[in-house]
Amino acid sequence: MKLNKTIYTLIFSAFILGINGGMKLTGQAVPGKDENITFLVTFGKQGETSWGDDDFYQVFFFSIPRDFKEQFYIRVFDPDTGGEHDEIQGEFNTRTFFGVYGGKGVNPDVNEDSKGLYNGMNYKGGTLLTSRVFGGEARFDNRYFTFGPFNPTAGDYSSKWNSYIFKVVVEGVTGDDGNLYRFFMSRDPENNLPVEGGNAFTYEYTFRMWNDFKSVAHIYPFVDTGVIWIRQRNFDWDGDGNILVVSRYKQGIEAAISNENDWMEGRISIDPDEIGSSLDFQFHKAQRELVKNNNVVVTLESQRGDALPFFSSPIGGVPVYIPKISVTKTNKTK
Amino acid sequence: MLNRLRYIFFIVAIVLAINSVLAQQPSVYTVTRMSFNDGIFSEISPVIVKDGIIFCSDRRFSAVRDRKSFDGNRLYNIYMAVRKDTSDWKKPVPVKSERSMLFNNGPMCVAPDGKSVYFTSEVETGPATRKRTFRNHSGIFAGELSGTELISIRQLPFNSSRYNVAQPSVSSDGKYLFFSSDMPGGQGGSDIYYCEFINNQWGTPVNLGSAVNSRGADNYPYMHPTGRLYFSSNRDGGLGQMDVYYTMMSSGKWDEPVLLPEPINSSSDDFAFVADDNLQTGYFSSNRRRSDDIYLFASTIIRKAECDTLIENSYCYELIEENAIKFDTMPFRYEWDLGDGNRGAGSSIVHCYPGAGIYLVKLDVVNLITGEILYNEKTYNLEIIDVEQPYISAPDMGNAGQNVRFSADSTNLPGWKIERYYWNFGDETVAIGKEVDKTFLKPGTYNIQLIVTTEPEPGGVVREACVNKNIVINR
Repeated sequence: MKLNKTIYTLIFSAFILGINGGMKLTGQAVPGKDENITFLVTFGKQGETSWGDDDFYQVFFFSIPRDFKEQFYIRVFDPDTGGEHDEIQGEFNTRTFFGVYGGKGVNPDVNEDSKGLYNGMNYKGGTLLTSRVFGGEARFDNRYFTFGPFNPTAGDYSSKWNSYIFKVVVEGVTGDDGNLYRFFMSRDPENNLPVEGGNAFTYEYTFRMWNDFKSVAHIYPFVDTGVIWIRQRNFDWDGDGNILVVSRYKQGIEAAISNENDWMEGRISIDPDEIGSSLDFQFHKAQRELVKNNNVVVTLESQRGDALPFFSSPIGGVPVYIPKISVTKTNKTK
Repeated sequence: MLNRLRYIFFIVAIVLAINSVLAQQPSVYTVTRMSFNDGIFSEISPVIVKDGIIFCSDRRFSAVRDRKSFDGNRLYNIYMAVRKDTSDWKKPVPVKSERSMLFNNGPMCVAPDGKSVYFTSEVETGPATRKRTFRNHSGIFAGELSGTELISIRQLPFNSSRYNVAQPSVSSDGKYLFFSSDMPGGQGGSDIYYCEFINNQWGTPVNLGSAVNSRGADNYPYMHPTGRLYFSSNRDGGLGQMDVYYTMMSSGKWDEPVLLPEPINSSSDDFAFVADDNLQTGYFSSNRRRSDDIYLFASTIIRKAECDTLIENSYCYELIEENAIKFDTMPFRYEWDLGDGNRGAGSSIVHCYPGAGIYLVKLDVVNLITGEILYNEKTYNLEIIDVEQPYISAPDMGNAGQNVRFSADSTNLPGWKIERYYWNFGDETVAIGKEVDKTFLKPGTYNIQLIVTTEPEPGGVVREACVNKNIVINR
C-alpha cells in the first residue's frame, strides 16, 4: 500500500513537472506550440511572389539566457526541398541556404539591417558560425538536420533580453519550389531538448496556412513601451478568411487582409494597458471553398516605424481576452 | 367556547382592518390664552424670538405714562415677553425707539440674522399729523434690535403717504419680504405683496394675485420656513370675520389657500399666525374674548421640519461590455441573459428589472467569423437593493373629492420593528396606519409626510424616519 502511494506520488510529481516544464520551454520549437503553424516557407529565388513569399528569404533569431552555460544546437526539420511537405513547382530544383550567425551585428536592436525587413538590407550581419545549402536530399527529408554545437557566448549579447542572440538566415538560392521547414533549439543534437528560458523571434513571418477550415494559426507580437498604434502589413493572403487581433483588452479586432500577390495594411490602436505584453494575431481561414497550400507573409511596425518582433513563445504568455462588464444605474429606458 | 373565540377573532379582525385602511383623525390643535394678555387692551401680532415673543399692544406704556393719538385712539407699541419658566411668563417690557411715544408701532418681524427687524409705523411726521382730522398712513421701517431698543430706524422706499404698507414678514432665507398693503392695483381691500432683496435693496412690490388675495381684506402675512405662507382674510368661506389661511408656491403658482381648522379659527377675528419650525406650537391673535388677545396653540399634528424627499427606486440599469464598446465594428455578437428571464443583444444594453433582488447576468459571445458561441464568457451578480427609507405608495395626481389610497407597504428599513405609520397629508389632517385613505377637498399641491417610528429598542431608543412626497390634486 505504501509502495503504491509512493509510486503514485512520483508519477503525479513527474506529470506536474512535465506540464510546467513544457509550458516554460516551448519557445524552442519554431513555429511554437501556441502558434499552431505547420511550417515556415522559403521559396527558391526563381519562384513567383504570388506563391506567397515576397523576398525568398527568412530571418529568425534565437535567444539564449545569459545564465545558460551549456552548448546547444539548432535543428532544422525537413531542410531539403523534395519528398514530403515541400511545395513543388514543376520539378524539384531548389537549393536553400541555411546559415547560423553569432557575434556582433546579429542583435537586431543594435543592427537594424539584421532584421532583413526590406530589400537591400544586409540581413547577414554578424559572424557566420556555420551553414549548409540543402537541395533535394532524401536523407534529410522529413528528418532533422542539426547545426552546432554552439557556445551561448558566441551569440550577440542583448542587455534588453539579458540573452545571447543567434540568427538563422534561410535563403532560396536557386530554383522555384517552396521549402517548408521548422526549427528546434535543443540541448541535444539527436533529440529535441529545450533550452530553459530560450525563445525565438522574427520580424517578418513567412509561413504556410493550414489546409483545413477549423485550425487557427496564431502569431504573438510583443508590444514594447511607447507604442501607440501599429501598422499591420500582410502579403498574398488570397482573401482567405480573417485576421483577428486579440489581447486582454481586445476580444478580436478585425485586421485588413490581402489578396493574391499584393500587400494590404491597416492600423490597430494600442491600449496603454497592452504595453509590455503580447498580442494574439489569429488567422482564421474562410469557411467556404478551401484555399490549399496558402503561404503568407506578415509584418508589424509601430507608429515610429519600428518593427515588432513575433515570439514563438509569447512574452507574458498567450493573451486571453478578459471581458469587463460594467453595470450602472440609469434613467434611460429601453 | 368556540363561539366566544370566533367572536374575539371577529372583533380583532375588524379593529385591524380599521387600523390598516381607514385614516384615524386625531384632534388637531389645542389653544390657550396667554397669561400676559391684558383684559382691557389689545395684544396682537406675536413674533417668536429666542427667549419668548415680541408682540404689539395698545396697553399703557407704564403706570404713569400713556399716550393716545390725536383722534383719541390709543397708540400701539411693541413689547417683548420673556418666559419665566416652561409655563409662565415675565411681565412684558416695551421695545423703545425714537417713535415709541409718537406713533403707532408694530407689528414687527425679525430677519434671519436675529438682529435686523422690520416693523410697521406711521409715515407722516410733520405738523399736519397733529390735526385731529388727519389720518396717517402705515409704512414699513427697518431697524436693528439692540436689547429692548430699536435703533438705526429708516423707512423702506415703497412707503407712501397715499396708502398703507404694513405687517412685514421676512422669509427664512432673507430674500423675500411679505407684507400687506392697500396700494392701488390690488384685488380689493388690502392685499398680500412681496418684494425681493436684490442688489442690497428691496425691489418693487409684487401682488400675490387673485390666487391668494381676495376682494376683502388680506393681511398679516407670515412666511414659515417650510414655505407655507400664512395670512389672514375676511373672504367668504371662512368660519367668520378674519380667519387664518395658508398657501404654498408649487410649480411657480400659489395654491388655493387652505383654511386652518377650529379652534385656531373661530367665528371672531383670528389673525397674525406664527409657528415654530415644526409647526407644532405657535401663536395667533383673536378677539374671541372681547379684546384682541394672543393665544398659544399646540398641534397634535406631527409635521417634520426636516423630512427626506422620497427617492423613487430605480431598477433600470445599463450593462456594458466595456472593451467591446471601444470599437465600432467587431465581428462578435453579445447576447445577454439578464437573469430575470429576459435576454438582450448588443455590446451595451439598457434593461429595467421588475424590482429588487439578485440577478445573475450572463454574457454569451458569438464569434461571427467562426460561428463559435462562448457561453457564459462573463457573469455578473447584480444585486438591486431598494433605497432604505419609508416608502409612500400613492399616485402623483388625484382629483378633489375623490378617494386616494396611501400605502407604506413598500417601506424598506431592514431591522426596524415599525410600530407606527403616521401620515401628514399637508392640509392639517393626519392618519395612522400602514395603508390609509384620504379625500382632499380642494385642488392644490399637497406635501405628504410619512413618519415611521419603531417599537422601543433595548435602551429605550425609538428610531424614526420621515419621507415626503408631493401630490397634485386637480379640480
